Amino acid sequence: MVKKDVALLVSNIVENIKEWNIRSSSGVAEAALETLAKIIKLSSSMNELVNNVTYAMHEIVASRPTSAMLINSFREILLNLKQGLKKYMKHEEMIEILLRRISYLIAKSRSDIEKIATIGANRIVDGDIIITATYSKTIMKIFEKALKQGKRFEVYVAESRPGDDGKIVASELSKMNIPTTLIVDSAMRFFMKDATKSFLGAEAVAANGAVISKVGSSLLALVAHEARVRVFVASSTLKFSYETIFGELVKIPHAPEKTILNEETKARIGKGLKVEIPLLDVIPPEYVDAIITEYGVIAPQALPILMKEIYGKWPPEYPDLQVLIGEIRSWVK
Amino acid sequence: MGKVVIPFEVVKIAEDIKAMRIRGAGRIARAAAQALKIAAEKYVEKKDLTEFIKYIDEVAKLLLSTRPTAVSLPNAVMYITSRLKRAKMKTIDEAISLIVKLSNEFIEYSKVATEKIGIIGSRRIQNGDVILTHCNSSAAVSIIINAHKQGKKIKVYATETRPKFQGYITAKALLSEGVDVTLIPDSAVRYIMKKVDKVIVGADTVAANGAVVNKIGTSNIALAAKEARVRMFVAAETYKFSPATVIGELVQIEERSPLEIVSEEYLKEHPNVKVRNPAFDVTPPEYIDAIITEEGLIPPQAAFLVLIEKYGWVIQDYFMKEFKTVKEEYEEWY
Repeated sequence: MVKKDVALLVSNIVENIKEWNIRSSSGVAEAALETLAKIIKLSSSMNELVNNVTYAMHEIVASRPTSAMLINSFREILLNLKQGLKKYMKHEEMIEILLRRISYLIAKSRSDIEKIATIGANRIVDGDIIITATYSKTIMKIFEKALKQGKRFEVYVAESRPGDDGKIVASELSKMNIPTTLIVDSAMRFFMKDATKSFLGAEAVAANGAVISKVGSSLLALVAHEARVRVFVASSTLKFSYETIFGELVKIPHAPEKTILNEETKARIGKGLKVEIPLLDVIPPEYVDAIITEYGVIAPQALPILMKEIYGKWPPEYPDLQVLIGEIRSWVK
Repeated sequence: MGKVVIPFEVVKIAEDIKAMRIRGAGRIARAAAQALKIAAEKYVEKKDLTEFIKYIDEVAKLLLSTRPTAVSLPNAVMYITSRLKRAKMKTIDEAISLIVKLSNEFIEYSKVATEKIGIIGSRRIQNGDVILTHCNSSAAVSIIINAHKQGKKIKVYATETRPKFQGYITAKALLSEGVDVTLIPDSAVRYIMKKVDKVIVGADTVAANGAVVNKIGTSNIALAAKEARVRMFVAAETYKFSPATVIGELVQIEERSPLEIVSEEYLKEHPNVKVRNPAFDVTPPEYIDAIITEEGLIPPQAAFLVLIEKYGWVIQDYFMKEFKTVKEEYEEWY
């Protein structure tokens, strides 16, 4: 078992993730890494460190099993931990190494966003009407950079229930003085005929190039495809899902009822009402024209090529996160 | 020639329609038919027949001015007035009794239409079906409830239907009959589609080419259904078919207040954010498997047939004088 303060830190972040208080998927990973750093600092022995880290990772991943960035970052940290255990490293030194790894991962996430934004902004031209949905840090950065390049464009953003992320996107874009129009999710197809391009963020990219993103994204991509509007997905390679190479299906988490409906309204509608709120959905690769990564623009189907570039071989040798957690836990027994 | 005085009860109905105190395509249509009937019965100066026709025209004009986009209302009014003009009346009493008869006929036809659709549509539902519906349509709800009462085990997904949450009304109506209902956000329609067997929605207007104008989001659903090879049914009474579209008129899409989507504070805080709120969208006929009317099931492309059969005279009288059906033109020449 873990101490109270660690348990509290973990339950806090888990709740924030589940209730969609952290909107961007990079934001979720960054917040999780920051929490993990705090938890690592609270550990006073090697045993406690292993306990705390594996407990936190297990809980956080369970709250968002789709976030490839979360899983990939955690795996990197665990690999460091495993190596340290093998070398009988002192726990102070171990903590230092892990914290350094965490800072690197957060820094990479941020620099990836910058690079992707530069590349993405290059795809925007004067007069574009861009349609988007949900809150993505990377997409916001793309718009910001395109604006700095002096490009004149307009953005349509869908409200993006649950969470109403679109209202926040509209708010931030209007503060940058980008002409922005807010629409309901149902109006995506109505306005698609006016759009010239569509930009979406990603939660994870599967081995076949399918993109997992906030619910509604796949509807937007479908509608764009029908209207022959190009769909660009912005994703760091940290979001590539290795598990899917080996056939693991991505499980879609669901949001609690209260994100769209309060108790009172529910009772008024009637006894026995069920509510289903998937948080994410899957865009098939054929609806995605390009994925903008920090290493450049690729076709979604070219994902294995990029993975090979990064990891030196295909398929990359990467242990399963849960297996790794088990291995490390057995070490300290 | 005296000034036309419209009875108070008729003016009241017109006002209630305008202020949306009378809502829903069927109810609006029946209220308009009722208003014409009252106007005819309350006509006091029983002297000149042409004066009477003029008076009825004024009443019709008043009714038509209330909701310019709702097709059921002009259909109800014109159903009565075009038949009145064609019947070679000799006395005012004859004209009055005809209006009463036509009005009763229309009210009866529209009342049973929804129930008939419920029965016809329910035959398309099989035991174990998972159904997706959008917004609140009496005809779609009638189909589901009929199927449920036939003992078919069905599960319904109802979209919440932003911005005004009409999905709640649908869910309530179905739950009270004991139907298994799950509410989903509109953004989840493509996600849910792989679990769905049939989509059933209503219609606000059906155009001559079979395109269906319905609550915003319907065309998203139709496209997602097409992609997943899920059958898409539209339940629509024939008074929802638009005669004006036969002569090429476009259906106007009403855009409603931003306040249905965001709060007043949000608008004040974000003067640069535009909020657009179209109430309807257009689903192309190729995404619709069938339109279920009270007269039977038709492919959407056959909407023209319904329009000519039901509203041929209306088209001639109100939209295009030289318009003729094939039969009429043939009879004229041979």
